[in-house]
Amino acid sequence: MSAHFSRRGFLTGALGTAAAAGGAAALAGCDPAKPAAGRASVVAFRGAHQAGIATPAQDRLAFAAFDVTSTSRAELIDLLRRWTLAAERMTRGEPVGAVDGSEHYVPADTGEATGLPAANLTITIGFGPGLFDSRFGLAGRRPAALRELPRFAGDELDPRISGGDLCIQACADDPQVAFHAVRNLNRIGFGVTAMRWFQLGFGRTSSTTPSQQTPRNLMGFKDGTRNVNGEVPADLDAHVWVGPNSDQAWLTGGSYLVSRKIRMGIESWDRDRIGDQEAVFGRTKVAGAPLTGRQERDEPDLAAKAADGTPVIPADAHIRLAAPESNGGVKILRRGYSFTDGVDPVTGQLDAGLFFICFQSDPATGFIPVQRNLATDALNEYIKHTSSALFACPPGPADGQYWGQQLFS
Amino acid sequence: MLLVRGAATLAGLLTLALVATGCGSGSADAPAGSGTGAGATAVRVTLSNDGCQADPATVAAGPTTFTIKNEGGSSVSEAELVSGSRILGEKEGLTPGLSGSFSLDLKPGSYQLYCPNAKAERSAFTVTGTSSSASASSSAAAAVNAATAGYHSYLKGKAASLIALTGTFVAAVKAGQVERAKALYAQARAPYEAIEPVAESFGDLDPAIDAREGDVPAAEWGGYHRIERQLWVAGNTTGMAPVADKLLADVKTLATRIAGSSFQAADLANGATELLTEVSKSKLTGEEERYSGTDLSDIAANLAGSRAAFDLLAPALAGTASGDALVTTIRGRFARTDALMAEHATPGGTYQPYKKLDATAIRELTVATDALAEPLSQLAEQVVTIK
Repeated sequence: MSAHFSRRGFLTGALGTAAAAGGAAALAGCDPAKPAAGRASVVAFRGAHQAGIATPAQDRLAFAAFDVTSTSRAELIDLLRRWTLAAERMTRGEPVGAVDGSEHYVPADTGEATGLPAANLTITIGFGPGLFDSRFGLAGRRPAALRELPRFAGDELDPRISGGDLCIQACADDPQVAFHAVRNLNRIGFGVTAMRWFQLGFGRTSSTTPSQQTPRNLMGFKDGTRNVNGEVPADLDAHVWVGPNSDQAWLTGGSYLVSRKIRMGIESWDRDRIGDQEAVFGRTKVAGAPLTGRQERDEPDLAAKAADGTPVIPADAHIRLAAPESNGGVKILRRGYSFTDGVDPVTGQLDAGLFFICFQSDPATGFIPVQRNLATDALNEYIKHTSSALFACPPGPADGQYWGQQLFS
Repeated sequence: MLLVRGAATLAGLLTLALVATGCGSGSADAPAGSGTGAGATAVRVTLSNDGCQADPATVAAGPTTFTIKNEGGSSVSEAELVSGSRILGEKEGLTPGLSGSFSLDLKPGSYQLYCPNAKAERSAFTVTGTSSSASASSSAAAAVNAATAGYHSYLKGKAASLIALTGTFVAAVKAGQVERAKALYAQARAPYEAIEPVAESFGDLDPAIDAREGDVPAAEWGGYHRIERQLWVAGNTTGMAPVADKLLADVKTLATRIAGSSFQAADLANGATELLTEVSKSKLTGEEERYSGTDLSDIAANLAGSRAAFDLLAPALAGTASGDALVTTIRGRFARTDALMAEHATPGGTYQPYKKLDATAIRELTVATDALAEPLSQLAEQVVTIK
């Protein structure tokens, strides 16, 4: 137990004073560079759905998968309670416990986020298929869709960085805030969980609201312009949230998370001619417009033919094969991040690419058919999938609930 | 070994006072009481989103029963009585409308009611007067005294073993018995590894006894690892006689210094954690015994030394909610490391060479060591609040 204080106690106090004074003059009295950060950078932790899914995509990612090393259901539930409390605090911009104390006190919080704002931190938990084996009495509560993903063409998966019993997705506008979140949850989990793999993402590659610019991936293209809009509840209900009629009621309001580490052959891509690069994606590189349009948000015309009768957006173009029109109307909410893990120790080439994350109401009608359809994607010449995982993200915790309480009650 | 600790650790670890004097404020001890017997002072605690308020907030020392009711606070579900960082009593899972209670035999002092997630998570709670059952407090303090005295005996015993086993090892080295010296090496070092943080507190002795190649200037390099390299790399004992003599003299000096030192409870607790830092830092990576590969013997000795300090302290922690929980957790985690180490033991009472461990085994040991070290690191602050 420890003193409980806000990382931004001083600033919050100053803002409170400013609000009470009710004037811009008072606000100008506190640090003028920072006032926008305060409460405005806090994303609500509790609610019908977990934050970090429809939430406008933050700039930075820290993503971890864990093995549960305990075989005790009670210990697992106790950990979920402690994680929930710690996660809620961190999303408010608070430490998980004191960072300082008397001489022999071991700080409960690791301290590297001290003084940083909440930075729109969201922490999202997911349950992997392994959690539903015989250890915790959950075998009867495994959703049918929560099973290892099938093998896809071109997979070169490394089991050491695939799968996991639990996942934590921490997204924030500050990389240190995101890292701090995963680090502290990992520490709290010692004895019950062990981190299986960990991925940092340095830049978002998706927008989940139209007000955000579509960022470029490391190939220099805007990929994800036609993403599910996180501000349209009907689209989220149709494509992202698990509805009330799924096979497991505890998952209602939740979502399935697919993660795929996609290594890019950056060196080869960079010497491909621009005409081919644009044909591979089906978009222009600079404007991001479909090859049948002029601006990024123009709808691609998949039927358009060139004078010679060939499709303007080639048959193997990425946006054609990933389009809802090519997948029976299926849409997935993409929320990926660019990554680099430095240099490939074997080849000396850059180890970089896309850490793809997507959310959907059912992987059997979401990621799986879309990924199968991408088997002939022209992009495959330049990418390979090296890790894969599927998690069921429970609904958001209500007041007083811990993460996934519905699963255990 | 850790070279940089030197003087700071010396100052922190060694003390002239024989008895732990505890720390300043709010150090009253309050073992869990045995139910809500007649005569206990009743305290009503109202739990809400605003905070937790005790009525009355000041009571006389003695048996006290706290009855907590959640008056509709949806963010709060738990109330604890804490002293510093120690949870003396708690009631969890109080969703809105629910009540619960816990009982304690309270000593005079300043406490806090703590209710996580409330707007005001802490409120003051004061116990006045003199305790009606002073025995509980003094028994905890007596347990601390027993722990520090017991640890001193343990250290002296290990130092004596170190002299005896190192003496046999040194004799083999000086006699040029390479195979015998190799067979005796890990065993001779084991008592040192069990008490390493104490040895490190004598700034000059640890580098002389336990430096690895490159830790000190080559011309000054001596001790176990110098002989280790000669035995395993050169395959002989050439030039090792003076190194061996110096090693034996140094471990004898260590024993003399240990005999003249005294230790506080926090030293035991911190030492127990530091031994696990040793495990993680150089042994689980195979760097400590880079020639002989006997890292697992070092790990076993580190764990044994850590366990010895913990077992001595455990009785002093018994009787409070936080202390009992911590002791139970740590015991379970030691059991896990012991089970993993047993998988690598050989019939002859030693361990597999490090290179026989595969990646899975190293990972398992690392995970188990982290799982143990984390709760163990909370021991020191718990014991310093005992008076």
